[in-house]
Amino acid sequence: MNEEKSIRLDRMRYTKNTLASSLAILAILFDVFYFISIYESNVGSWYYNILIGASILYNLVFMLAAFLSSEGIKNYKIGYSYVMIVLGVIQILRIFIFPMRAHAATVTIQEQAITVMETKQFLLCVVYLAASAVCLIAGAIVGMIRSRELKAHIASLGNQAV
Amino acid sequence: MAQLSVQHVDKIYDNNVQAVFDFNLDVKDGELIVLVGPSGCGKSTTLRMIAGLEDISAGHLFLDGKEITQTPAKDRDMAMVFQNYALYGHMTIYENMAFSLTLRKENPNVIHKKVLAAAEILGLTSQLNKKPSQLSGGQRQRVAMGRSIVRNPKVFLFDEPLSNLDAKLRGATRREILLLHKRLQATMLYVTHDQTEALTLADRIVCMSMGHVQQVGTPLELYDSPANRFVASFIGLPPMNFFDATVREGELEGRGFRVKLSEEEKGILLPYAGKEIELGVRPEDVQGGGDIALNVFSNENLGMNTLVHGHIGDGELANRISAKLRGWYDYKEGDRVSVEFSRKHFFDKETGVAIGREVKA
Repeated sequence: MNEEKSIRLDRMRYTKNTLASSLAILAILFDVFYFISIYESNVGSWYYNILIGASILYNLVFMLAAFLSSEGIKNYKIGYSYVMIVLGVIQILRIFIFPMRAHAATVTIQEQAITVMETKQFLLCVVYLAASAVCLIAGAIVGMIRSRELKAHIASLGNQAV
Repeated sequence: MAQLSVQHVDKIYDNNVQAVFDFNLDVKDGELIVLVGPSGCGKSTTLRMIAGLEDISAGHLFLDGKEITQTPAKDRDMAMVFQNYALYGHMTIYENMAFSLTLRKENPNVIHKKVLAAAEILGLTSQLNKKPSQLSGGQRQRVAMGRSIVRNPKVFLFDEPLSNLDAKLRGATRREILLLHKRLQATMLYVTHDQTEALTLADRIVCMSMGHVQQVGTPLELYDSPANRFVASFIGLPPMNFFDATVREGELEGRGFRVKLSEEEKGILLPYAGKEIELGVRPEDVQGGGDIALNVFSNENLGMNTLVHGHIGDGELANRISAKLRGWYDYKEGDRVSVEFSRKHFFDKETGVAIGREVKA
């Protein structure tokens, strides 16, 4: 191992994993953009009411989980990487639940057929959810790699001490 | 490291109050200079002018021969350690120590090496992941020093760094600063009002009062040959005893005492024949067994020594005196102890300037 890499690894003992943590925070930000966007939907039936309501409720859970993960991953706790991967996968699945179903669907409001989610709004929602998912998964991968590197480095220091 | 030269520096504030008068000092490479004096004497102001935190009203400041009088503080290559540590509470010790280098956008690996090296010197390696609030006062002060060390400045400036620490910790941290100076061989300026710190740390002491430099010299010079009454009274614990005395033929006469003068002392005091001067005697130079009667009013046992407070002479105008006698004594109020003065210092009554400096009996 060259000296540069050795110092970089040693630095991790005293510095936070800010990259992975920042990616998790960015994922929360994209999620916020997403749930702001879904309010623009033309809700004309209990079905979409429930979908949007559930989505908003899940957002609360998501933000809490993602924030805790960002704090955990900041301190090189590898377990939070797995949580972030799960959250990222769920963000992708969400695309197929609300935006996909609402896109191009119509509801009748005051005897007029109105589109629940226009294409532009649909694309924005998909982009936000996808971006949020990418950030979470990328953060999880970075966190996982660095946590393992740090663990191995600390183990090697322990061996040297022996 | 660096040579610092302070030439004819004055500090006059906007309200025309002058805090420092004609300050001159040449600091050699690797020297530890202590500025000592009572509160308000201008020592911290002088240090802040050197650091660039205060404007210099008049005079010049040179670092390694280059004038830096108008140079901004950030470009002076000096590091200052403050009394209140000035650490960032939300950062870890590592981040605090690395902060100034991070601002300079130095390579993170280089920063890491410097921080670890400084932490090693200061014994902080195991504390690097902690926050300042988790450390003791002494450890926090070491962090503040570490933050200076990593910058590798030309001059270290310390502004009463131990004032916030308790007595025991102060002693320990003082020794650490001394070790640090020996290890780094750095040019250091240290401000304190504590004469013990000054005597134990300094290569040379600058004693100040009311904005004026009273004396510059080694700790021994200031203790043994004070330039004036102020330095004599400020340096030494317990402080020096002062008595009014008249120079008679071959002797010095004061209220409650009459001491013989040596030939050397007679020569020094010749211009003062028949005049009144001030006699200074350190408590440790008052010894038992002479012909001066000390009337005891209190007694402090210090282990190896006994500090006796009393007066010589009678009546309301009797001279107060403190004597540090070797050994353990249990004197009671009203006891009379025979003492003599083994060393004497003479001061001009009008000007307070030392006459002939220190003379051994």
